[in-house]
Amino acid sequence: MQGRSLSEVASNRFVSKAELNVNFGGMRTDQCGPLTAATAILDTLNSKLPKNFNSSTVIETSTMTSLKRSVNTDPLSSNLSSKVYVRSTKSGKVQKIVREVYLRQDIPCSSRLCSNCLASAPRSAAGVVSPFVLSDRPAGTKAYPQGHYLVPDTNALLNAMDLFEQGSAFFDVIILQTVLEELRNRSLPLYNRLIGLTKSQEKRFYVFFNEFRLETYVNREQDESINDRNDRAVRRAVKWYNDHLGQTKSKSIPVTVMLSDDRGNLEKAKQENVPGIRLRDYVSGLKDAERLLDMIAESQERVTSKEKKTEFFYPEYFSLSKMMTGVKSGMLHQGMFNVSPYNYLEGSIKVPAFPKPLIILGRDNINRSVDGDVVVVEVLPQDQWKAPSTKIIEEEAITKNENADNDEGAVDVVTEKERRALQEEVKKTQGQTTEGRPQPTAKVVGVIKRNWRQYVGHVDPSSVSQTARQGRKQESVFLIPMDKKIPKIRIRTRQAGELLGNRILVTIDSWDRESRHPVGHFVRSLGELETKAAETEALLLEYDVQYRPFPKTVLDCLPKEGHDWKVPASTDDPGWKDREDLRGLLICSIDPVGCQDIDDALHAKPLPNGNYEVGVHIADVSHFVKPANAMDMEASIRGTTVYLVDKRIDMLPMLLGTDLCSLKPYVERYAFSVLWELSPSADIVDVRFTKSVIKSREAFSYEQAQLRIDDASQQDDLTNGMRTLLMLSKKLKQKRMDAGALSLSSPEVKVQMESETSDPIDVKTKELLDTNSLVEEFMLLANISVARKIYEVFPQTAILRRHGAPPKTNFDELANQLKVKRGLELRFDSSKALADSLDACVAEGEPFFNTLVRIMATRCMMSAEYFCAGTQSFPEFRHYGLASEIYTHFTSPIRRYADLVAHRQLAAAIGYEAMHPAVRARGRLEAVCKNINVRHRNAQLAGRASVAYYVGQSLKGRVAEEDAFVMRIFSNGFVVLVPRFGIEGLIRLRDLAEPEPESVFDAEEYVLRLSGSYETSVELFQKVRVRIRDVKDEATGKRGAKMELVRAV
Amino acid sequence: MASTSQHLLLSPAELAYLHSTLSLTPPLRPDGRTATQFRPLTAETGILPGTNGSARVCFADGTEAVVGVKAEVEKTANTSITSEQDQASRQPKQRRRKQQAKDQEAAKAEEEEDEAEDGDAERRSEDEWLELSVEIPGYRDDDSGTVFLSTMLSEALLADGELTKKLWINRRFHWKLYLDIILISPPLSYPLPLLSLTTHLALLSTRLPRLKSEGDEDPMFDDDWASSQFIYSRASRPSTNTSRPPITLLVMAVGENVIFDPSKEELAVADCALAVSVGESEVESEAETDDAAMDVDAAAAATAEVKARTTLRLLSVRTIDPPSRLTAPGVPNAVNAAAWGQQGGGGGSSAAPVAAKETTGLRAAETGSVEGVWKAPRGGSKIAIISTIVEKILQKGGVAEEVLEGLDGVELA
Repeated sequence: MQGRSLSEVASNRFVSKAELNVNFGGMRTDQCGPLTAATAILDTLNSKLPKNFNSSTVIETSTMTSLKRSVNTDPLSSNLSSKVYVRSTKSGKVQKIVREVYLRQDIPCSSRLCSNCLASAPRSAAGVVSPFVLSDRPAGTKAYPQGHYLVPDTNALLNAMDLFEQGSAFFDVIILQTVLEELRNRSLPLYNRLIGLTKSQEKRFYVFFNEFRLETYVNREQDESINDRNDRAVRRAVKWYNDHLGQTKSKSIPVTVMLSDDRGNLEKAKQENVPGIRLRDYVSGLKDAERLLDMIAESQERVTSKEKKTEFFYPEYFSLSKMMTGVKSGMLHQGMFNVSPYNYLEGSIKVPAFPKPLIILGRDNINRSVDGDVVVVEVLPQDQWKAPSTKIIEEEAITKNENADNDEGAVDVVTEKERRALQEEVKKTQGQTTEGRPQPTAKVVGVIKRNWRQYVGHVDPSSVSQTARQGRKQESVFLIPMDKKIPKIRIRTRQAGELLGNRILVTIDSWDRESRHPVGHFVRSLGELETKAAETEALLLEYDVQYRPFPKTVLDCLPKEGHDWKVPASTDDPGWKDREDLRGLLICSIDPVGCQDIDDALHAKPLPNGNYEVGVHIADVSHFVKPANAMDMEASIRGTTVYLVDKRIDMLPMLLGTDLCSLKPYVERYAFSVLWELSPSADIVDVRFTKSVIKSREAFSYEQAQLRIDDASQQDDLTNGMRTLLMLSKKLKQKRMDAGALSLSSPEVKVQMESETSDPIDVKTKELLDTNSLVEEFMLLANISVARKIYEVFPQTAILRRHGAPPKTNFDELANQLKVKRGLELRFDSSKALADSLDACVAEGEPFFNTLVRIMATRCMMSAEYFCAGTQSFPEFRHYGLASEIYTHFTSPIRRYADLVAHRQLAAAIGYEAMHPAVRARGRLEAVCKNINVRHRNAQLAGRASVAYYVGQSLKGRVAEEDAFVMRIFSNGFVVLVPRFGIEGLIRLRDLAEPEPESVFDAEEYVLRLSGSYETSVELFQKVRVRIRDVKDEATGKRGAKMELVRAV
Repeated sequence: MASTSQHLLLSPAELAYLHSTLSLTPPLRPDGRTATQFRPLTAETGILPGTNGSARVCFADGTEAVVGVKAEVEKTANTSITSEQDQASRQPKQRRRKQQAKDQEAAKAEEEEDEAEDGDAERRSEDEWLELSVEIPGYRDDDSGTVFLSTMLSEALLADGELTKKLWINRRFHWKLYLDIILISPPLSYPLPLLSLTTHLALLSTRLPRLKSEGDEDPMFDDDWASSQFIYSRASRPSTNTSRPPITLLVMAVGENVIFDPSKEELAVADCALAVSVGESEVESEAETDDAAMDVDAAAAATAEVKARTTLRLLSVRTIDPPSRLTAPGVPNAVNAAAWGQQGGGGGSSAAPVAAKETTGLRAAETGSVEGVWKAPRGGSKIAIISTIVEKILQKGGVAEEVLEGLDGVELA
């Protein structure tokens, strides 16, 4: 005992036993209170003793030192406090956490007016004080002419983050630590946005650590709620700022003002003489107040109206604990909620427990979920199971004339119209095909995580009253999002008249039980509908593409020489270290016309032994983009370059992408080369990888290359090399096909632009030449070779790409359709079988039928994804579509981040450079994979949406009659694909004739027979003639390609 | 026993003197206390901020103990017990009870228990929910003395099942309580009462996070520590005492005298020493307290007394082997060679009779008692003494009540 200190004994015991955080061991000996402390405690003890206690049991003051720290009596403890809370971990542990808070007095106020703080502010290791943020002459308002600093409370930030991001107001804002922490607990996305704001130079947001500053720290009082305590902390900090700045010798001292929406808090502030103002009142005093007022979230205004209403539209959500228990025990299921693109009242959710997605039908079962939310569902009893819908139900059409202001008055959540729409559907669930068989249905009982983002849309003109078009009255209007899966959003605005006909950006604030539609608020206007700028920005926002210019920190990472950068002439230069000199090889690149970011180049030459040396040379981006610097971070966030019809949003700055990295012809460039020795039958004899310096002899377009190969008069070595490549690529392709690679299809078109105005003039389907396939085959070969190599060296961290085998059930419907309609059999037990049976799917005289089937088959597939080798077992690595057991992306580092990572890993694998920790850490790599998977998909979708938009624009003012094929049949309409434009269109029966023709839908035969006002029958895969025209729907203000049936062919 | 308190260096004559003064009516204690008076102590709670509850108690003789209580959420084993399995799991308990009580009574108890459970939403509890460890400096934790101490302490806490019942969260989860009891001074006297009082205080100050979830859901708790709840709720205190944790008192008897909280010197001459555990429960009906008395795993008889509001009940009585049994006996002058001249008559007598006298004297020293000569006590405790002790403890305004009242006055932090 003598040898060990008390605390040692105690801490060993407690910590080892309960694994909990016992601060006993960390107690400082000098903090053990002196005698006075002990006496004081015992005095209080004695005073509490009951009178009759003295006879037998005496508690008396001894000379023992108390172990207890007493804040009140210990003079040393004024700068010491503690925070106690309960932490529940994921594994179910519940811990009491005690955090000690050491209070200091050198945390600066960061106002440029204050010289005291500047003198005492802590310095960095280099002896530099971080510059003060708050302006010495902050802007004034009518109420605060001498200038003011703002201190928002948590609710102000929650309700009006968009306001704080404005460029016209809200400067010199003090963000209190109390507020920041509270915000993080309430909303992580908002917290991240706020952090972004504090980093911006011009907004002058300063995070003041009030919880660590002695003067602004407040102890929680007995029976005080955490909220009240935090409010008090905010008031204390505001008061301190005012007192503190009052001591400066400045002539005009700015007021520090608390911004709050909490009435109680404001009242208390008034009593305590702390300047405070309601957020709304403050904004009203600003310039441009009306626009700004619209940005305050809806929710807090409703508090008053809430009281009078007790009617709820939607069932209440389960408590979180109830949901978690249910999910764990298998009673409830968790998954991501997806809305059907054809029927806004039908959603589906994929859960592990069921092979097919669960169907969620109707407004009250969907229960306020929005597409993309992570929800918990309960499976409904079997007698309520239904078949997926065979009917198109569009929100716009059904809820067209609802009044946004009267939303609350309605009696029932499901309107009569909606009920009728669903009713007809239920009648038809008796069918026996896979399509008609009832499937498990479910209802949403709670939301785990909202994945609400900002939505682009336009105001529904029918919801705007006439008075509002002129006046300035605030009123509720509906916003119709661009994304059909998102429900209408109700927003309150004073500028309804101006917003009409504009693309606007909104966010959803809440969706309460008593509101039929989600409630949101206006963020900003992107400009008029159908202007190119507004539509392009809308598209980028909708697909979350980062399109802002590169920040300065990123540009600082570029080589100083700029465009003058050259491969060093001297081979002794460090840049040449371990690089092979391949400048002598006859290398060329083949790309689409006008390609500036040339990722890859090739060469081939015969070897003396009859084999061929083939090289694929990829731009050495990793030489310029070093791991974990600002440029690398930016690229990893962007993930990919996004190609729109008229615009390219780069992953890397232009200088690199189109110049220094790009393997331009006639100049020397750094490259990363894959060199094979291939036998004449295209078997790999040997492969090696090296960093190199190359000099491309020519940059061909696919067409040019094709012409040159076909031109027998060209017999130079370069052309012959290309012929060799073509010969080998055909053999490689054959091998792949034999192994079961799929050749899938998606409708690809190219929009031709007028060069001057870049207005679209024509649409063409992309042509595929042999040279396309030449490049593709060698890129695949390089990717596979690299994948093998990095997996061999880094079995845990190699970044790979997989394509899962699709679940068999995905093909059920297509197989049945082919069987019923064409008597064709689709086999899908392996990719080889699928490839063969797809080849067999031909219709005489109709070459496009095969493509159509391929397009439909592609939609049954899983999407390929990047992953980290350690997260999957080897059989799962397989790339289904390419029929390769391992695959990665290596060949486009300029435009894909995954390739850049693969480059770094390969460089480490061949011993060229050491592995950077960022490329080695599996956790980080997994996060990168997750991000680039999302970005990749978004980029594809954005690209397609862009094409679709321009196709629509190219039709503007024209009427085109084209062939089309029926892809899908509903009971009240059908979907056709127009190969010429690569667009799909919906033809509703009600548009065919007036009145709506009567229809009989035969779900088993996939035939829709029409009678009455329009006599015809439409069946699946049928070729029809449609008239396409560009129509602007006056009601919704939306322009789109509208199709009309001319005749069935 | 011997191993957990240090050996006393008292001569047989000193022991004999002490014994005789303690046998007086009223007893005369070396430190001047009355028979029921406790040594002065200082106490405080909440000294370990990271624990759910903690306390420190110092006796004036310099012994000092710290107790920390930590709680963890634990999944209750076999949550889906059918009623039959349930019966089976209760079998051992019932069997034990049957040994003590007559068959009918056991059956009656069983019935009642079933009823109680149905009414109480099946709040069952297990002894494993409490884990207790005792550390005495200088002794291994598997030392028999340490083990005995921890057994006695946990026996008292578990005997009436009140404590573990409080740890019930729902049918699937419970709190597991870890009690770390540390004597931080050398064991100057037998530490049982000190440890028990400290444990009592620590439990009084123990708080658990407030439950937010309902029913049999996975438990979720309020993350605000200020809203946590005492396991021994103090809502209506001190006017109406609800239940409080049990305490164990050390009592010794010298002759007919009953002496509470003996010091180590006093223990050295005890005829018998007992550890008596007393619990308290909320007001219950007479019948049930009778049944509770049946539960007692005690070596001695038990009684229960119903008080106006709360019930003090005897949980256990354990005999403790006092160090007095290991003391060396004194030697009567009759056989003392050093006192030769005083006892023997003629100086010139032969050696043989002297030898005979010596043997009779030795025998007398071992068997009969000689006034003023120390002799280690033998035999068990007398029934009459035990019942006196129990009565003194449990009676209204008795020692147990007083101690509890006293500890109640300690401010909870």
